[in-house]
Order: sequence, then structure tokens, then C-alpha cells
Amino acid sequence: MYRKKNNKPKIVDFDLIVVGTGAGGGVAAHMAAARGKKVAVIEQESIGGECPNYGCVPTKAILQSAKMYNTVQKVSDFGIKVGKTEVDLGAIHSWKNQAVKNTGTDEGRQAYERSGITVIRGHAHFLDPWMLSVGKRRYSAHNFLVATGSHDVVPPIHGLKECDYIGYRQALELTTMPKKLFIIGGGAIGSEFTHYFSSFGVEVHLADFMPHLLGNEDPEVGELVEAIFEQEGVNVHTETRVIKIVNKGKQHVVSFEKLGKVHSVTVDKVMLAAGKSPNVDLGLENAGVHYDKKRGIHVERTMQTTAPHIYAAGDVTGRYMFTHVASYESRIAGHNMFSPLKHMADYRAVPRAIYVEPEVAGVGATEAELKKKGKKYQSAAVPISVIGRSNVSQQDTGFVKILANKKGVILGASIVAPRAGEMIHELALAVQWRMKASKIDYTMHAYPTWSQAVRICANKISCR
Amino acid sequence: MGKTMKHIVKRRGHTEAYDERKLYAAVFSACQSVREPSGSAELIADKVVSDINEWMGNKHEVTSNDIRANAALHLKAYNPDAAYIYLHHRVVW
Repeated sequence: MYRKKNNKPKIVDFDLIVVGTGAGGGVAAHMAAARGKKVAVIEQESIGGECPNYGCVPTKAILQSAKMYNTVQKVSDFGIKVGKTEVDLGAIHSWKNQAVKNTGTDEGRQAYERSGITVIRGHAHFLDPWMLSVGKRRYSAHNFLVATGSHDVVPPIHGLKECDYIGYRQALELTTMPKKLFIIGGGAIGSEFTHYFSSFGVEVHLADFMPHLLGNEDPEVGELVEAIFEQEGVNVHTETRVIKIVNKGKQHVVSFEKLGKVHSVTVDKVMLAAGKSPNVDLGLENAGVHYDKKRGIHVERTMQTTAPHIYAAGDVTGRYMFTHVASYESRIAGHNMFSPLKHMADYRAVPRAIYVEPEVAGVGATEAELKKKGKKYQSAAVPISVIGRSNVSQQDTGFVKILANKKGVILGASIVAPRAGEMIHELALAVQWRMKASKIDYTMHAYPTWSQAVRICANKISCR
Repeated sequence: MGKTMKHIVKRRGHTEAYDERKLYAAVFSACQSVREPSGSAELIADKVVSDINEWMGNKHEVTSNDIRANAALHLKAYNPDAAYIYLHHRVVW
């Protein structure tokens, strides 16, 4: 006898099945297991997902190598002499692999099993709202969490598929540095890899169709990063459309259109960093879950999909593709699926950080978003060169910019500074709790720290 | 390792082995019903079957709805009218 479609089964294999073991899945799985629920996780790739295996962790590890290399080049300015410095790509790989290992991904399976969570390997496919198929077996549950992450977008560029292009995963595993590299996409991933490769002397061409790099940030941020890259010798091509790629022996001729003119450049490698698209190929139609191939699964602020017992979290929802957002959403989903009182996701203060040198960070609304919503706002900016820390560090490139409403309540902020990724959290707190700039202004900040620039910027708003 | 047999979960809930010949025949007749020449219809059916086989890749079980929706999506790129007929033939006929 088959079960009638859409009828909730009385007997199921699990209380919760989580598809994906990344940040979007892992948190909810452990929360449910801690409540004594019977939980299974399904993973077809590496346990731990994108961030620790191929994303944040390995990229930040190699960027740390680049940072160390750049620091050594400048030490003579600070009264230290060193001998000749050399780059050992094999050793950088070992360091990167060690950093990945330190996250505990190696024992990912055991970590789940220690918590009493069943780990199932394979591709999950929904057969109906209460059952999915993995390999030759079927599993049913009362609740599901879809956290399948995302994959690289491949733009329709003539000759791209034939040119043996690399993505960020392959870029992490390169055994030799290319002499010339063309990176398609000037977002966070494209910019970080531009910084990495150019630090080690690779001639990088970075192309993006937007007017500025880091197009989701305020224009000043992109303009400054462009200027820094160009100073480092990077060829930045904004408002550029890559037309075609032709193989020429082991090299590739990339043709692109910039401001109405067609240019060509010959490179050793082409890297694709044109954005990410949600992984939604898991039979969601059979489960009654509405989704869009580009925008991901439609979710409420409770993280429930159009099938209320199926939740989604992380990149697959297509909102903010960050690890911290995925784990936040997973926490909300993990709470809501077993609680009558639902929590709602609040995206007012999502921090963003891009690990170029100096770092770039942002939180809350950008000017473009405020203009689009028709909100009245005021802005203030302060260059980091005005603070004491800049003087003693010999780093004067960067700024802090705060956006606030007419009453001085902080709505968003952008920072370009050596520790921007750390500094942004003071402003994230302000955005989250609707604080006025005067609260930051009246708070004492230690001298000499980079965060003093935040206080001075807040002062500019509170004194108006 | 040999290929594992794929299974289709039908609308009424029962399962049967995936038979690409049935898909080929359905796509071919949808193409013919919109006056696509036989040779071209064969080529299109071949391409759609190969696209679906690739999509099936690591999946052991899919529903007949999945096959129909995906095949229609691929067929739409080659012949939108045939895709419409393929998707709605139960209603049309």
C-alpha cells in the first residue's frame, strides 16, 4: 500500500532530517539532538560544508600568507633587516591544509555521531513532502531543514567552458603560480583572490560589469579598493563585459568590451568568480516547496518554506551568502521547528567583511539601499589618517563612513581599514539596537586604536 | 563499478525502473505532433534523453513529475511548442 500524498505520516524514521552539514545545517542538527530529538544529516560532499573545507577557512589561511609576505617586504621601514624572502607554494598549501584540519572537519562525522546524529552520505531527493531518497534508501521525518548551499554561477561567455577555467576551489590547489591571470568578477571572492595572487607577483586582470569593484558596497569603498589594486599593479577593468575566450596553445586570449571598445589580453589562467547560485536540485517540487533557480528557496522570517514543516537556511535561501548568516538562520530554524513560540530572523545588522589589504567591512544599509527605499539620511566619513594608530603603523589608506537617519540613529556603516573586520562590530551593535551616533561618541575609546576613527566619525554626526 | 539502476516513483506511489526509451518516445511524439520533421525530432529526443540522464547522475530515485518537468525544461530550449505539448498532453488529449 502506498501512502496517500501530502498526508503526514504517523511513524517516521527521524524527528528531523537536515540536508547539508555546513553552517546552515549543523547548528540546527546539534540543537535538535541536544533536545533529545532523533536527527539525521545528509551530506554528499565534505562534512562541514563549504566554509571550512573550500571557502572562508582555506582562503583566509592563504590570505594570511600573503599578508605575512607583504609585511616582510615592508619591515625595513620599521628598523628591521631581513634576508631575501621567497614564496614556497607547497608550504603555503601545507599551512592552508593545517588550518582546515584545525577546524575539526576531519572528525566531522564522529562529531555528529558523538551527539547521536545519524550521518547519511549521498544526494538527497524529495519524493513527497515527508520523504526523501538517498541512494537506494528512503527516509521520512516530521521536519526537514534544507541547507544545501550554493554553487558557482557560470556566465554565458563564448569559449569559457573550453578554456579550462578555475574557480576558487581550484585556485586554492594551484601547484604553480600563473604568470598572468584573468579574474572574471570583482565581488568579494574575485577581490580577495586578486589581492592574494598580486601579492605574490602574478599579473592580474580583474574584470567586472559593475561601475566599481565590490558593487554591493558604497561606491567610495569600491573606488578606494580599485585605487589600491591599481597601485599594486593590478589591471582593474570595471564596466567591462567579457565577450569571448580563445585558447592559444597553453594560453588563453580573453576579449572584453570596456566603454564601447574591444580589448584583448593573453593570460595563462582564467579564474571565474562571477557569483553564486543556490543548490535547489533536490526535488523540492515534490515537497511543495516554492523556489527560484536564481533566488533560491522562498522562506518566511521563521525560516519556514511554503511547506511549513520544511525549513531552509544558508546560501540556499539566496539572501546573504555568509557563514554567519547561515548559522544564525540555522539557529532560528532549529528553535522554531520544535517550539510553539517562533523566532523571526532579523537582517538589519548583517556584517560583511572582505579580507583584502586594508580590510573592507560593512554593516546594515548602504546609501544605494536607503535611496531606493526613499529614506532620508545623513552621512559622515573620516579618513583613518587622522588617528594616532595610523601614524604609528604607517598605514593611512582607509576611512570610516556612517549613515544615520535625521535623528542620528545609525542605519549602516562602511569601513576600509587594517582591522575593519573587527571594527565593524561596534557599528553592528549600534545598527542592531537602533543606537544613536552620540552613544558611540560618548563612549571612551582607547588611544591609539583603529576604533578611534569610529568614535570620531560618530562625533561628526552627533555634533550636527 | 557498474551503473546502478534508477527508479521512477509514479504518481500513484508505485515504483518502476527508469526506461529512457519511454522518455525518448514521449519527446519524439511531442515533437512530431507539432510538425517537427522526423530526423530533427529524433535528434531532439536524443539530446533531451542525454540531458536527463546527466541530470539523473547521482540520483537513485526521482518522481515521474521530476522527469516530466526537467524534460520539458530541456525540450523548451529546442522546441517550445513541443515542450508545451509534452508537458500538458494529459490535459490536451
